[in-house]
Amino acid sequence: MSEEIRIGVYVCHCGINIAGVIDVKQVVEHAKTLPNVVVAKDILFTCSSVGQNTIVDDIKREKLNRIVVAACSPRMHESTFRNTVEQAGLNPFLFEMANIREHSSWVHPDDPEGATEKAKTLVRMAVAKAKLLEPIEKSRADVTKKVLVIGGGVAGLQASLDAANRGLSVTLVEKLPVLGGKAALIGDLVYSEKKGWQIVKELVTQVVTHEKIHVLTNTTVENVSGAFGDYHVTLTITPRYVKETCLTPEKGEEACPVEVPNEYDFGLTRRKAFYKPFEQAYPPLYLIDMSSCTKCGLCLEACGNNSIDLEEKPKTLSEKFGTIIVATGYEPYTPSLGEYGYGKDGRVITLSQLERILSENGPSFEDLNLFDSVENIVFISCVGSMENPRDEGARTYCSRMCCSSSIKNMLKLRELFPSSNIYFLYRDIRTYARKEEHLYEQASKNGIIFLKYDLSTPPDVKINGKPSVEVLDKLLGKRIQIPADLVVLANGMVPPADILKLRSLLKFPCSSEGWVAEAHPKLRPVELPSPGIYIAGSIQAPKDIIESLISASAATAKAVIPIIHGRVELEPLVSYVHEDVCGACGICVSTCPYDAVQRVALEDGRRVARVDPRLCMGCGQCVSACPSAAMQQKSFTDKQIHEMIEQLVV
Amino acid sequence: MSAKEVEQTSYEPKILMFACNWCAYAGLDLAGTSRLTYPANVTVIRTMCSGRIDPSFVIKALTEGIDGVLIGMCNYGDCHYIDGNYKAMKRFLLLQKMLHDLGIEMERVRIEGISASEGLKAKRVISEMVHTLQKLGPLKIVEE
Repeated sequence: MSEEIRIGVYVCHCGINIAGVIDVKQVVEHAKTLPNVVVAKDILFTCSSVGQNTIVDDIKREKLNRIVVAACSPRMHESTFRNTVEQAGLNPFLFEMANIREHSSWVHPDDPEGATEKAKTLVRMAVAKAKLLEPIEKSRADVTKKVLVIGGGVAGLQASLDAANRGLSVTLVEKLPVLGGKAALIGDLVYSEKKGWQIVKELVTQVVTHEKIHVLTNTTVENVSGAFGDYHVTLTITPRYVKETCLTPEKGEEACPVEVPNEYDFGLTRRKAFYKPFEQAYPPLYLIDMSSCTKCGLCLEACGNNSIDLEEKPKTLSEKFGTIIVATGYEPYTPSLGEYGYGKDGRVITLSQLERILSENGPSFEDLNLFDSVENIVFISCVGSMENPRDEGARTYCSRMCCSSSIKNMLKLRELFPSSNIYFLYRDIRTYARKEEHLYEQASKNGIIFLKYDLSTPPDVKINGKPSVEVLDKLLGKRIQIPADLVVLANGMVPPADILKLRSLLKFPCSSEGWVAEAHPKLRPVELPSPGIYIAGSIQAPKDIIESLISASAATAKAVIPIIHGRVELEPLVSYVHEDVCGACGICVSTCPYDAVQRVALEDGRRVARVDPRLCMGCGQCVSACPSAAMQQKSFTDKQIHEMIEQLVV
Repeated sequence: MSAKEVEQTSYEPKILMFACNWCAYAGLDLAGTSRLTYPANVTVIRTMCSGRIDPSFVIKALTEGIDGVLIGMCNYGDCHYIDGNYKAMKRFLLLQKMLHDLGIEMERVRIEGISASEGLKAKRVISEMVHTLQKLGPLKIVEE
């Protein structure tokens, strides 16, 4: 660029926040000595309208074409001042900030001289970078007016309804053959007169009758391409093999010779390969689980050839979506074999299994024939939660629902077996939500015995005939032995294993424990860092039904914004290639976490790397990977950073 | 300045810190808003992601006369750009080997995960680095 660089530097007092430590006048004088600086001023509050107007006026009067503000963190006011600069008719990216508050005056209050020198250095570095800044044109994209919701549990159902009720078209995708997720498998809930499956039923009824919602069960997300506002999604629909026209599916189930553990009862019962997931399941259809079907053909004989097609092929469907809501939920933790005796004796069950037993649509104690009479029932808390952080791969988080859910079920067991003793071996009672403390109180009054154990001395369950539980009571300091007729392991929540596939498709970060990480826990709690993708429900962290529904409504409120606007602004600070020096080695292609870089052939046949600015998120990982410095990032070029480093040692 | 003089005057090292926008830089901001204090020897350059930090920046800084370089990245699992911090760490490990081969003290370059909520850690890491470099003194590159 041949235009003369004319820089304006504004040093903020921030009242006394900066000026109370840093000699602002000295910084201004220093700025005046720097090359290309035409104007250098101090301002009491630069972010005030007076301060901003000073900048606007100076840009116009002095024909400034680069602006440096030395004030607070760019994380605080960079966008404010970009707007200011834009108001004056300058490209907003010809602006640089020097952080002399958070990084100087506030952290060096006892060293005014050092803080002032550092402020001068920061200004010098910012001026050096500003000199090299280039204008960036903001790019925009049209938004497809359609929302994809992944996951048909309570959160996904609520999100679909909210979006559809705002008039948007929604496609709801569920990988299982039924809607409702984990809540559909629960009976009584804490703080609700409605049961889990009843809540699901109400949501499902509204969803499936809504003309704006397209429901796809037994469907997985196979591929995602495109960019913010225009995601191209390929879905695979696994067939049910049993046609809806089949009039006697019960006969097919009866005829089926293959039995496998029933995942909807968490392995308590067995189901056929030809099955219906559970009572009240929606859609209420039978299907064949091809992973266990032997294609023996007995069901064909029972139902007739026209009712079943064992050779039915999966269907694929490609659709475009403006925004995506991820609501894939959690999996209950399954204890490892032998963990607290689990798997060694039928009388050691998990809390999820107990929920099935106590739910109207699950097996009963009588069906399972677990015991003749019940004397002692022992609950053990924090199974698969709150693990020792020193252990590799530990689940250190609290699963949040197991305490209240355990206590709720203890009270129910108290009704079922009035003469039994019920023990709760707990680490901490976390009945934190509404009405739950009341539940805890009720349990105490109803003779539930609470015994506190420590992380370092977990209870020991021995199976010798009957399960026998030994625990070191932390409060009494004594070992207590309980012969148990039923041991319930309060298993926590874990992220679903197949989240990794979705993660690679949608490109979002996960916490070290595997939960999907939001863009910011407080400021952007339901958004993912990738624009246009949102999270609802317990895929973010353990949540109860109420919290899941709230987050679903919140995520939808956010997800409809780009669609209502119709056009979205894309990341401006993207990478770009100097094609004349690019050797097409492809390192950038494999470095990019967003598949934004591709190798293309130029007209003369030479191959070069090219960045798709719609997909680039502006991290710059490819830039430092490039061996020939052909790849650069806007506003973070090698040259700009080198220049800043040089100014540091002047 | 001779080695003896350095010892007497308590050397004030010049340190460059690279910090990613989402974690380390925010952690440094938090140190500020929490009014934690640390020595003024460290100056920060912000990049969007620690994966943008080119090892050549570190070499450049050391050859320009900077005594030490800190790299602040997200903790594992926190990266805003999925895995930029892993890439930063990989490059750092290579760089460290190279520095060692060049006879440069490995303590002059340090990488740390600092989350947006770890203002205290930012303070601690900076203070430790200043202390380390005060002991090491200026970088001596022996010409053969």
